[in-house]
Amino acid sequence: MSATGLKLFPLRSRHMLPGFRLSLGFTLFYLTSLVLIPLLALVIRPAELGFGGFWTAISTPRVLASLRLSFGMALAAAVIDSFFGVIIAWVLVRYRFPGKGLLDAVIDLPFALPTAVAGIALSTLYAPNGWIGSLLIEHGIRIAYTPYGVLVAMIFISLPFTVRTVQPVMAELGLEVEEAAATLGATRLQTIARVILPMLGPAVLTGMAMAFARAAGEYGSIIFIAGNIPAVSEIAPLLIITKLEQYDYAGAAAIGVVMLAASFVMLLALNGLQSWAAKRR
Amino acid sequence: MKKRFLKPAEDPLWLRLFLGSVAIAFIAVLLLLPLALVFKEAFANGVSALWTAIKEPDTLASVRLSLIAAGIAVPLNTVFGIAAAWCIAKFDFPGKTFLVTLIDLPFSVSPVVAGLIYVLVFGAQGWFGRSLADHDIHILFAVPGIVLATIFVTFPFVARELIPLMVDQGRDEEEAAATLGATGFQTFLRVTLPNIKWGLLYGVLLCNARALGEFGAVSVVSGHIRGVTNTMPLHVQLLYDNYDYAGAFTVAALLAMLALLTLVFKSLLEWRYADELAAAHRH
Amino acid sequence: MPLTVDSVAKKFGRFPALNGASFVAPQGSFVSLLGPSGSGKTTLLRILGGLEFADSGSVRFADLNWLDMPARTRNAGFVFQQYALFKHMTVADNIAFGLKVRPRNRRPSSADICKRVTELLDLVQLPGLEARYPSQLSGGQRQRVALARALAIEPRMLLLDEPFGALDAKVRKELRTDLRRIHDHAGVTTVFVTHDQEEAFAVADLVAVMKDGRIEQYGAPADVRRNPRTPFVSEFLSA
Repeated sequence: MSATGLKLFPLRSRHMLPGFRLSLGFTLFYLTSLVLIPLLALVIRPAELGFGGFWTAISTPRVLASLRLSFGMALAAAVIDSFFGVIIAWVLVRYRFPGKGLLDAVIDLPFALPTAVAGIALSTLYAPNGWIGSLLIEHGIRIAYTPYGVLVAMIFISLPFTVRTVQPVMAELGLEVEEAAATLGATRLQTIARVILPMLGPAVLTGMAMAFARAAGEYGSIIFIAGNIPAVSEIAPLLIITKLEQYDYAGAAAIGVVMLAASFVMLLALNGLQSWAAKRR
Repeated sequence: MKKRFLKPAEDPLWLRLFLGSVAIAFIAVLLLLPLALVFKEAFANGVSALWTAIKEPDTLASVRLSLIAAGIAVPLNTVFGIAAAWCIAKFDFPGKTFLVTLIDLPFSVSPVVAGLIYVLVFGAQGWFGRSLADHDIHILFAVPGIVLATIFVTFPFVARELIPLMVDQGRDEEEAAATLGATGFQTFLRVTLPNIKWGLLYGVLLCNARALGEFGAVSVVSGHIRGVTNTMPLHVQLLYDNYDYAGAFTVAALLAMLALLTLVFKSLLEWRYADELAAAHRH
Repeated sequence: MPLTVDSVAKKFGRFPALNGASFVAPQGSFVSLLGPSGSGKTTLLRILGGLEFADSGSVRFADLNWLDMPARTRNAGFVFQQYALFKHMTVADNIAFGLKVRPRNRRPSSADICKRVTELLDLVQLPGLEARYPSQLSGGQRQRVALARALAIEPRMLLLDEPFGALDAKVRKELRTDLRRIHDHAGVTTVFVTHDQEEAFAVADLVAVMKDGRIEQYGAPADVRRNPRTPFVSEFLSA
């Protein structure tokens, strides 16, 4: 140790750089008080219902319908967004045209736009007298105030996830593998089916999972366009709020636990996907 | 003789036109139309009506509240993000991956659930509900609750941006500074901060956008008291539900402007500082 | 059936990558395109492979107007500098790819494909690695797989774009000896691009020294070395 007393190797810390205990301590304190403890409340609250009570709380027709709607439509939206997401990513990565940069930036709009703004805009747009709604009404298609409104809002909100997960992978793919496939005699279709799509597979799945997770929990952009009729077009987050307003804390927490569990499963599945894909690179 | 055939990785023209049109049409209808609608409705009654709507006391109150919530949440979350990124990137310890997963949690949780957990802790029937009422402290249905909910939903943003960036940058420079006698704070200020400044700005930008725009979580804890506990997004809902469409879209247009500004700065940062932003954002 | 390249030219935008390159190589010979970066050698190779199209000039091979055919139909095996292996497929699937994508009437049975893969792996001295993934192989091994893959389609022309560029010296020497051996065994016309003159002279029957999109000198290695025809050639060879 030097004469000026520099704490290069402080006796108690094993780490070379300073600030470990301070940063980790603060981080853990922040996380615990803001995240872990409140989450604990969420998990514990339904316990006062007992296992049977919990089960009853979440298996009423209204609750089940809301969960079906939230998760079901989220899945549909994720699939639709993945399909278009691949096309959009392809166009952005492979083609050159004026205004491409602008188009690229616009993709992030659902990310940056407050959900309430998206909500009232979509609702007004797809209402029977809205720009799009009025066109569709002539063909007997109603979007606003029906479950399809939920779907459209979810498609809006999840698009950035499906595009942004696929885009970098596509860019990294490069042209050489396609050229190799061509020199080996593959047609364009064969190249796309056997080489390009399989390589994009994990990224597409990841994007789909993220889109699903986001859409299932979404609230603000959906409640204006949805109609919110119990057991028909009522999403699970709305039901949670309704129960809270009725002081049914335990019931609200029960639904919250189900949604949280679904989030966890998604997170795990995503992490599993990432490591499986990483092994194959 | 000069038959021009396609290079292997080139799509035929008809395919390019088709896919291009599909992509552009999809984006235009899904994303751009709603945006256009917001501004069209806001300006429907002319600019002076717009201005009057903005100067409404309740609207101004909502702007103030939004700014307060963001003004507290963003700096706090920035400090958190820096602390978390510092200990994760510069040190090795068990449970690091678990910690990172935990930090990612609010991203995968529904905003309504985020608000719900604070109701369960601070609400009338919550853990601290009784004792708070006894001391006449209002967390829920008041500004503190709104700030808490905002902090929860936005705290990953700065951390998520800084962690991969600082991991990528390694420890060499900080270790060099330490051997030269710098304290922790000196090292951070003079060595680390200059290296992460664009990533930090990017994370703060996203954090701020989300903080000002958050709806679901704040809606649960707010109480929706007009002019008192309504942030801008909540005020939009209030006006819309009361059929004041022009007013609702006016406030919405303000928020949309903010979103567009965020996108502009985001693109600028990504374009000019692609290397200094976290690897995850390079595309 | 010689390979006849006649005044092939190509511009990228305003940059003339190839300024009229011509040479003739007998069937089954091993030609090396040698030159510094920017000399147009890779461009010429890619034109031969159908990965670029020429602005003017012609190529005749196997009695065909080569440049009129898309890459798919040329049956020209191409080995890339960065291997371009299909990362999501095993070694066996990579090598078998060219056989599996053939139209039904020309496709061998799976048993035959399997046999061929094993034979090729033996040929490139990687026996037993059928089930590995490219990420599990070293650089030298990956390049051998890339070579086997190109050979699987029984190509009438073999094109290699600085195939050993990313490898260290010892591996390079081994690989180029193996490459020559395989060429002699298969008798296929081979065009091989490199900037390393030692390499070019060690393996090729004919060397084309290129500069600025033109072939400055073309001939057997010994001749070129003894009688450099331009100052550039003698400087390049003495470096």
